[in-house]
Amino acid sequence: MNGADWVVLLGTIVGIAAYGSWRTRHVRSLNTYLRGNASTGWGTIGLSVMATQASAITFLSIPGQGFESGIGFVQNYFGLPLALIIVCAVFLPMYRRLNVYTAYEFLGQRFDEKTRLLGAGLFLLQRGLAAGVTIYAPAIIISTVFDWPLDLVIVFTGLLVIVYTVTGGSEAVALTHKWQMAVISAGMVTAMVVLLLRLPAGLGLTGAAWVAGALGKLQAVDFSLDPSRRYTVWTGVFGGLFLSLSYFGTDQSQVQRYIGGASLREGRLGLMFNAMLKIPMQFVILLLGALLFVFYQFAPHPVFFNQAEWRRHAQDGRFQAIEAEHAGAVVQSQSAIRAWLQARASDDTAREASARAAMVAASDRTHAIRAEAKAALVAADPRAKATDSDYVFITFILTQLPHGAVGLLVAVMFAAALSSKASELSALGTTTTIDFWRHVRPLAAADEARNVRVARRFTALWGVFAVAFALFAGFAENLIEAINILGSIFYGVLLGLFLVAFFLRRVGGSAVFFAAVIAQALVIVMYFSLNIGYLWYNLIGCAACIALSVALQAVLPPRAGVNEGRRG
Amino acid sequence: MTPRSRPDEAEPPGVPGFGTWRGVYLFVFGWFVVVVILLSVFTAIFS
Repeated sequence: MNGADWVVLLGTIVGIAAYGSWRTRHVRSLNTYLRGNASTGWGTIGLSVMATQASAITFLSIPGQGFESGIGFVQNYFGLPLALIIVCAVFLPMYRRLNVYTAYEFLGQRFDEKTRLLGAGLFLLQRGLAAGVTIYAPAIIISTVFDWPLDLVIVFTGLLVIVYTVTGGSEAVALTHKWQMAVISAGMVTAMVVLLLRLPAGLGLTGAAWVAGALGKLQAVDFSLDPSRRYTVWTGVFGGLFLSLSYFGTDQSQVQRYIGGASLREGRLGLMFNAMLKIPMQFVILLLGALLFVFYQFAPHPVFFNQAEWRRHAQDGRFQAIEAEHAGAVVQSQSAIRAWLQARASDDTAREASARAAMVAASDRTHAIRAEAKAALVAADPRAKATDSDYVFITFILTQLPHGAVGLLVAVMFAAALSSKASELSALGTTTTIDFWRHVRPLAAADEARNVRVARRFTALWGVFAVAFALFAGFAENLIEAINILGSIFYGVLLGLFLVAFFLRRVGGSAVFFAAVIAQALVIVMYFSLNIGYLWYNLIGCAACIALSVALQAVLPPRAGVNEGRRG
Repeated sequence: MTPRSRPDEAEPPGVPGFGTWRGVYLFVFGWFVVVVILLSVFTAIFS
């Protein structure tokens, strides 16, 4: 990074944070602090929902997933548009009608206080733990690549987001999201354009797609019914539907983004904006990763992309031998790809098939050497970080992009980290204030200024907790999966609570409360004892909560009265 | 928390070509189906 990169990086990141703080420094109204500006339109809501979901991990790990495993991960998002339609039609109108600050207030209205506290508690547990991961994830990668102190990156990111989120609350979050999404869009378009320009002459986008496809990177959909496969159309549509319904319908960090706004229409259109754009957007990011794979078939690249980790351990002749073997395999792979491209152009089917087999064999050999390198790292130090897919895109950025653009792409990572973190902190502070603090201080609800002060303190407290968690905890290597797994363990039951609330009017608070506790214990036991795709836990947790609620309601005394929370 | 009245639930989408929210949802669902079909075709062509 040179001076130009630093100017772009600090100018965008600190500039947006300062602008957000300054514009919202006078926020005194509880409604504005917790729900945002009452005149917010659908465009801002849509971008805010998108920015909340798009964490730094999205832009670091997902191109790496495309590089390593191909674009099949896109199926993970197949349930999202369906979930957003349900949220628009059922959840959002109810939240606005009840005029709630948090989704869990609805549970209190529909059932009772203990169920509301259980829902809010599950959210705080899941999101509070994830808050540490979302701040740690980009920090570890950026600090490793640039050789910056990890603690400094965590503290810098944490303080920046705490300042503007505490100052302006939900309004500052929505305001900064717009500009952060602008930086992210500009950066990703720049990266894609540079990547296409850097492909070998004559190959182009179509040629690169043919190579990526022949090497197994472009299987976007898989209709297999094998339950052990992590990403298929079915896990995406069914597991993804439940995950997305939980996330968008019951996770306060998302609910808070769309319950404010000028009208119900603005929230609905903002969500539909996401329903239409999310899959194409994720496809493009994954395609970027698959094209990076093709690019590195022709360009020199390290056997292990996390070079800092490699240099730390690769100190004997065995590692140098692996590097030399890899360099030779890459040259052979390049020749095999060029031979296949020529054979493909010749219309000779037999020659093409033979050249394709040779190309796949050469690619498999390169892959095997990379696996050997990872095994050697673990053999040298069992605690070594043996996955490097998160480092592929950042390596490309640093080695191939011109100065200025490098700063912009690093700003993309920070903008994404700050945008998702800000929503989390605002939601954690809001839920703690509204669902817990007001529960023990019911008389304080009327004092608006005091509520805003308390919400600010809780938001700051969660920020400090997230920073401390990131500083002192160790995390799983594949960070995006760590967050998704954590979400899948808790989200299913939380969604079950809401689905019972919306659709099973006969079920009362005690039945659903104990059903949720048993279902959550069941999911945790299953996670530690079974080997199935983690997305299924969303469905299992939700189904268990609903089925147990119905069963328990059948044996418990009938409810004294029906209070579905559907009254106008 | 004060429940609101329901006037904005009857508010039309205000999107050209759509008179009801049901129409908007069907359009978004249709878009999703088209995207999955396009991805299937993409897979069939390039894999």
